[in-house]
Amino acid sequence: MTGFPLVLKKDDPRKEEIKLNNKGIQTKQRAAGFMFLLPATVLIFVMSFWPIVRAFIISLQTGSSADLHWAKPVFWNYMRMFKDRKFLLTMGNTFLYLIIQVPIMLILAILLAQLLNNKDLKFKGLFRTMVFLPCATSLVSYSLIFKSLFATQGLINTVLRHLGIISQNINFLGNTGTARAIIIIALIWRWTGYNMVFYLAGLQNIEYSVYEAAKIDGANGWKTFWHITVPLLKPTIVMTFIMSINGTLQLFDESVNLTKGGPSFTSMTMSHYIYNNAFGTGVANFGYASAMSFVVFVLVAVLAVINMKVGDTRD
Amino acid sequence: MKKRLLSVILAATMTAALMAGCGGNGSKSSSKKSAAKGVDTSKEGDHELSVYAWDKNFNIPALEAAEKAYQKKDPDFKLKIIEQSQSSDVEDAVTLAGSSNDYSALPDIVLFQDHYFNRYVHDYPKAWSDAINKTSINWDDFGQEKLSYSTIDGTHYGVPVDNGTVIFAYRTDILKECGYTIDDLTGITWDKFDEIGKKVYQKTGKYLLSMDGDGNDLPYMMLQAEGVSQFKDGKPNFVDNKTMVDIINVIAKLQKDNVLYLANDWSDYTDQTIVGDMVAGVMNGNWIIPTIEQVKDNSGKWEITSMPTLTGAEGYASNGGSSLYITSNCKKTDLAADFLAYTFGGGDGAKETYDAALTNGGVITTNITCGKSDVYTKGVAYFNDQPIYQKIVEMGSKVNTVEQSDYHYIARENVAAAIHNIIDGTSVKDALKEAQDQVTFAMEGNDQK
Repeated sequence: MTGFPLVLKKDDPRKEEIKLNNKGIQTKQRAAGFMFLLPATVLIFVMSFWPIVRAFIISLQTGSSADLHWAKPVFWNYMRMFKDRKFLLTMGNTFLYLIIQVPIMLILAILLAQLLNNKDLKFKGLFRTMVFLPCATSLVSYSLIFKSLFATQGLINTVLRHLGIISQNINFLGNTGTARAIIIIALIWRWTGYNMVFYLAGLQNIEYSVYEAAKIDGANGWKTFWHITVPLLKPTIVMTFIMSINGTLQLFDESVNLTKGGPSFTSMTMSHYIYNNAFGTGVANFGYASAMSFVVFVLVAVLAVINMKVGDTRD
Repeated sequence: MKKRLLSVILAATMTAALMAGCGGNGSKSSSKKSAAKGVDTSKEGDHELSVYAWDKNFNIPALEAAEKAYQKKDPDFKLKIIEQSQSSDVEDAVTLAGSSNDYSALPDIVLFQDHYFNRYVHDYPKAWSDAINKTSINWDDFGQEKLSYSTIDGTHYGVPVDNGTVIFAYRTDILKECGYTIDDLTGITWDKFDEIGKKVYQKTGKYLLSMDGDGNDLPYMMLQAEGVSQFKDGKPNFVDNKTMVDIINVIAKLQKDNVLYLANDWSDYTDQTIVGDMVAGVMNGNWIIPTIEQVKDNSGKWEITSMPTLTGAEGYASNGGSSLYITSNCKKTDLAADFLAYTFGGGDGAKETYDAALTNGGVITTNITCGKSDVYTKGVAYFNDQPIYQKIVEMGSKVNTVEQSDYHYIARENVAAAIHNIIDGTSVKDALKEAQDQVTFAMEGNDQK
């Protein structure tokens, strides 16, 4: 069947035959396609979707994990959440991180990408590597490094004292305000380079001639950035926004390793609190932990939808 | 051709890798991230037992000592000690077994943290065996406070291993510099302690006490020294508990007066305040001794005594520790029970076991007879040749038994938060009310009755 599709005249008798043949091949091809998809699909169902369903069932149950029974009323775990001041506190903390950290990080990322996309810049590769490098460190190790940097006897305190900026060591991780600030700083350090890479890729897809045209029309740097770069990068911006929101709402490693949620839970994130309910302090309250996980899931979904609607320019 | 060959090799490697991955996850309990390896107790010999333990410098030498001691009675006896990376791995193994209702991956015996045990019997009753009751262990020969953790409704489940008796260790050289001796700090009130502490801080810049501010054990220990619990009839009793309010006030005052330093977390507490030489006093369970001993330069400068109290009587408390428990997966309960009774339970091999456990692992017994052994009466050079082990056993026998709770660690966490808030300016009443509400909330949520 080389050279298919053949160009046939309207009333060619061979047409019906080919159509039939064609159908057979299509079915076969489709079957082969499904065969290729099958292993991955089955794995996703077993490893991902089934646990989600199970988690939902558990979220309606209560008791120790050896003796789970239905809660009365069924949504008892969900109703509990609104009375749980600690859960609301951790939710507030998480949103605080989200609102402050995500915009700063994305703006920094876009500016860095713009700088590093400069055609005349020397050592471009080196700079790009340097900005991206934090992403190569594991979440736990960088959290621990930040923890030792900001410890009461740590490097930052020593440097600040020797510079005469402070007279007494500050307990950064022991005070609510500074502890939260350090988590935000750590997050920005860790994730800016990651987002920058997306912007760089996006920028490279923008034709240079567009910029040239703008230059000829007399647009200055700021104007080109605002009226050309940003609109053309919009899909990338929406994507990074969704990813960052998703990531921040599920923030865990930093809260656990940097501050342990302290002082008095004021820097704890939702995921950390969920973990504590399931595995920490000997509680093993899997029902309640699952219920809270579902709330986080709904929050992520809602925010992602809003983001996509806002970013959608098609209509 | 070359390409085909390459793809075959690639496919082969991937298959091999996949198989290896699956093979590794074959046994049931190793699907956990921890080093918890499943054991098959049915495949063990008739004279063999398996046990989970977690500290190769502390409780594992004690178990090795017990194995050796029991071999005198049963020369074929073998104890398979399976090392876990931390105590919570043992708890996780029981949680996993209970959740899947399959206890076949548990070893014959587990070493288990005392404060967690009540909760795990309550949640996973099918995980434990009470075979130890059939032995002739003389329970009166143990510290009663220690036994209160492993005894539930009059049924014994475990045999004590170590001792959590609280010591108050002071740097005698610093005290001397400020004009005090260790006797001036024995049997004093917390107010007097505060007064001395202020002087020590003024003169030397050292705190007289430090603690992990997040996992704050001070309220529990100080209350136990008064004979009071944070719980009453199974419910948290913070706000209307006058002793507790007094204790919390003392802690806040000590912190404000620079007598007490609250570290941000456990590693700050040990590495910065104790090993970092920030303090002239350490108060905690006696398992803190190896941490104190890490500073070689301070050898001979420390001595231990009892705790201050609100009234000025000598205070005794206990914090942390673990016991050995027979699991329901044990097929040879008679052997396991006899082994425990003969060694840690105060039987014929007890002296040998506990002597070696102390020498090799620094594990101190709660068995009163074994605590009188020669090894215990020897002076310890690091502590100015004071016979500290004898003193610890003696103090341990005086610890008040107070009401324990499944929610010990939740209470600790929330009271620690309350102390933070009080230091930040919340009133004691409001902060304790919040903590009590939080603990009550957590208790209600765990199991809807």
